[in-house]
Amino acid sequence: MKRKFAGLTAVAVTSALLLAGCSPSGSGSEGGEGDEITMWVIGGDTPDALREYLKTEFNEKTGATLKIEEQTWGDIITNLTTKLPDANNTPDVTEIGNTQSPTFTNAGAFLDISDMYDELGGDDLLQSFVEVGEVDGANYTLPYYFGSRYVFARKDVFAEAGVEQPKTLDEFNSAVATIAETNPRSIENFSGFWLGGQDWRNGISWIFANGGDIAQYQDGEWVATLDSPESLTGLEQLQAIYQTASKAPNDAKDESIWTYVNDSDKRGEEGAEEQTSLGAASILAPGWAHWSIGDLDGETRVWNDDKFAAYPLPGNDGKPAPVFAGGSNVGISAKTQHPELAKELMRIIFSEEYQTMLGENGLGPANSKFTSSLGDDQFAKALIDSASNSKLTPAAPGWAAIEAKNIMEEFFSQIRDAKDLEALAKDTNAKLDALLNQK
Amino acid sequence: MSTTSKLSGTQIGPASIEMTAPLSVVAQRGRSTPRRLTRALLAVLGVIVAAVWAFPVYWMINSSMLPSTVLEQKTPTLLPFGGSFKNFTAVLSSGTFVKSLGLSLSIALITVVVCLLFAFLAALAISRFRFKGRRSFVLAVLFIQMLPAEGLFIAQYKLMGTLGLLNSVIGVSIVYIAAVVPFTIWMLRGFVAGVPADLEEAAMVDGLSRTQAFLRITFPLLAPGLVASGVYAFLQAWNEFTIALVLLDSSHRTLPLWLRGFIQESANRAINWGEVMAASTLVAIPVIVFFLFVQGRMTSGMVSGAVKG
Amino acid sequence: MTRERSRRSLAPYLLLLPAIGIVLLALGYPIFWQLLTSMQKFGLAQQFGQPPEWVWFANYRTLFADSTTWVVVGRSIVFCLVTASVTMIVGVGLALLMRAVGTVVRVILQIALLLAWATPVVAAMTIWNWMFDWNRGLVNWLLSSFGLPFNGHNWLQNPLSFFFVAMIIVVWMSVPFVAFSIYAGLTQVSTEVLEAAQMDGATPGQRLRLIILPIIKPVLGIVMLLQIIWDLRVFTQIKLLQDRGSIASQTDVLGTYIYQLGIGSSDFAMASAMSIFVLILTVLLSWPYVRNLLKEDEAA
Repeated sequence: MKRKFAGLTAVAVTSALLLAGCSPSGSGSEGGEGDEITMWVIGGDTPDALREYLKTEFNEKTGATLKIEEQTWGDIITNLTTKLPDANNTPDVTEIGNTQSPTFTNAGAFLDISDMYDELGGDDLLQSFVEVGEVDGANYTLPYYFGSRYVFARKDVFAEAGVEQPKTLDEFNSAVATIAETNPRSIENFSGFWLGGQDWRNGISWIFANGGDIAQYQDGEWVATLDSPESLTGLEQLQAIYQTASKAPNDAKDESIWTYVNDSDKRGEEGAEEQTSLGAASILAPGWAHWSIGDLDGETRVWNDDKFAAYPLPGNDGKPAPVFAGGSNVGISAKTQHPELAKELMRIIFSEEYQTMLGENGLGPANSKFTSSLGDDQFAKALIDSASNSKLTPAAPGWAAIEAKNIMEEFFSQIRDAKDLEALAKDTNAKLDALLNQK
Repeated sequence: MSTTSKLSGTQIGPASIEMTAPLSVVAQRGRSTPRRLTRALLAVLGVIVAAVWAFPVYWMINSSMLPSTVLEQKTPTLLPFGGSFKNFTAVLSSGTFVKSLGLSLSIALITVVVCLLFAFLAALAISRFRFKGRRSFVLAVLFIQMLPAEGLFIAQYKLMGTLGLLNSVIGVSIVYIAAVVPFTIWMLRGFVAGVPADLEEAAMVDGLSRTQAFLRITFPLLAPGLVASGVYAFLQAWNEFTIALVLLDSSHRTLPLWLRGFIQESANRAINWGEVMAASTLVAIPVIVFFLFVQGRMTSGMVSGAVKG
Repeated sequence: MTRERSRRSLAPYLLLLPAIGIVLLALGYPIFWQLLTSMQKFGLAQQFGQPPEWVWFANYRTLFADSTTWVVVGRSIVFCLVTASVTMIVGVGLALLMRAVGTVVRVILQIALLLAWATPVVAAMTIWNWMFDWNRGLVNWLLSSFGLPFNGHNWLQNPLSFFFVAMIIVVWMSVPFVAFSIYAGLTQVSTEVLEAAQMDGATPGQRLRLIILPIIKPVLGIVMLLQIIWDLRVFTQIKLLQDRGSIASQTDVLGTYIYQLGIGSSDFAMASAMSIFVLILTVLLSWPYVRNLLKEDEAA
């Protein structure tokens, strides 16, 4: 017992010493050997190979070292809030969620890199992302990568219900309603299209597709526009979906929705009855969900073209319906001690090599010149097509507060049972207006 | 020394019962039913309650052995037959667990040791001395625990930045100790009061040095109390994650943060319940082992007056 | 006896020094900062270096004028009182049970409670969230296999049932501490006295009320105080449940409300004002217990 304890103490003391040793290094003159800059990436989206490339390339170009630290999506705001203003501990370059970008750029968290804008890709960069990194015409953050949402549908269930793959949004709306009503497999609570009550990030497409918007920038300030005639048309379609096509609970979010379109195969035991977890004929989901959709092979899912289909949500104007783009921006901390090195890293990130690598790994490259690197399978096509018409949340300074207060979630959860959609929209507009312009 | 003995001595005795308690139907029923049956029923109840309470932990361990395709089914699998440790190897393969374990252990150990030492000294002061400011101190001890922590960490970050204690085990430990020490003082107070000072002095008269007297006489009497409060301090330090997140950089994650990161990462792809449960089990195991190890001492510690108030 | 002798000595202050020192070091400046910030306009821009504007009590006025604040306060107090009471009742019950059963069953019971106590909060919440999942949760499966209409029942959607689930989880986590503490207190109750009372015909209820409760009253006092403090500030459990489901504005409690004001909306001034208010609220709510404790402390 005693020895064990001594062992633990040894571990404890060693890590204490190790940690004590790694206090921030003093910042000397820039660009020399031995200098180190830090970049934050969020989550595991940036694959290891890309991180290695950045480190090697950066070291070769500058002689300095690049340290990449991985943050988590759940805690990124806390870390940005405390560490980004602190010159001693700030990351020099950081990824930031595109909806989080306006709040931080407006607060002065990032370095003005307007002078590099053209060098880094200029107008070839994904413009909706450029906008959320812009304040008064100056560029602070630029797009890092984008993702998009498209439809994953059960071909077999569509066929059983006698429904074709829809070509327009109207067709889609009626198709999913029909499937839910005919319920070809007689599954309890079966949805034609699964849309969680609080899942506004997917549901918003119906407002966008009818020409509506959450908010617009008019005469120097942001104004909520959920009660415009266009938005209301979208809301009516959404209400119909919620009432007939979707059986999702009012408070459901977009977590793991792909499980609803999968079958769960038989259990391994002999004679066990077939278990099915199929709950919906279609979903709208981020592109990477395709890794989790398919037939069960051992313990992994394998895509099956006979059963599943992936395509952009159709619009009524021949183009795909606008969807919310996913993805991130990237910027240089205003408090960096190494602005020149940080700019060098930005040059590497926006280089042709790195942009192509992003695409090859299924991440939409920031620079549209390199979109072809995504490949040409059905997922790449669906990603490129749906992204061609993608939108973002309003680039208003108060947007983060709106997300924190879950105003959009609450709004959407009330659509199904709303007696008066216009009153609900006006009510939410008032809540949005109170926060949109708040710095 | 204690209010309880005073109470049992004066307020309640057999006499007072005699006056207030008439022979009742219930008592007669109690006599007619064999006592053994009642005891057996209570024993069964005890086992059922134990099963209910332990079930979530069992469920976690059970699920950690099953592949996620089995867990995705609507009908739950109650026994881990055909299961494997695959989830554990998958979780451990990234290698970050061991590093986080070391970090969490070092922070928890420093917190427990320093906290017990400081709290013991303070408990000595308030149980052995009457002094000016004692009442305010006791009040402060109680009130400090009422401060909501959710709004403090920005200032704590700035403070530790100024002190140069960011990204250090010491910085996090200081904040934890300050958070735990008030309650620990309160817990230890009863114990210290329970050790008669005369005992130590008598031993010194018998030729022991002050240190020897403390180690041989006082310390053994205090040990259960120290274990009980140590467990409390350990748990707090082991569970906390906001302070650890803010004061440490992302290459130094304590176990709760490691687990959170793991769950979020999993949720971003397709949540793999088997692996998430395996990771949860890994975080729980050190505490469970520690608990079972001190179990006997801790319960006896609490029994001998830990939270006597 | 020793107390009298050391009345004027420096010793107690020296003994208190380390504890006071470390609390002041870690909390002194943050509390001061919080007080200051609660009287400023302090958002993300100020965090990034813009000078804050001094507004005296404007934040408090905004806070008190907002009906949401009072709804959250009321909700938190009700949740706290209900949860703390249930925890206490179950805890006392289990402590009595531990005393009533033989050694083997007692150790089984103690180990089960220890397992629940030892499970780290983040891990425990993952398990509970999953057990109450509306689609694949164990609870729904169990209830519907008894023929009850719980297939696909969503526990988190309705605020009342959300708080019911939250209460179960919090009670599960806090009962072990309560049960052990009270069991410790119970060992002070002498078996002879209880047996004598039973001979004299005292009902179990009377024995509990007249003999057992008065003896464990001091333990009950401190444990109840701690439960009130903890349940009023409950944060992690509610936050992690909210992340899974429920409409946040219908389920916010003080802890999540402060978090939402601070990190969520970057309004650190309002978050500070709310924190100070919660501190005052907790002091008021727990004052009867604190006064009792002080009285007992003076008497000891």
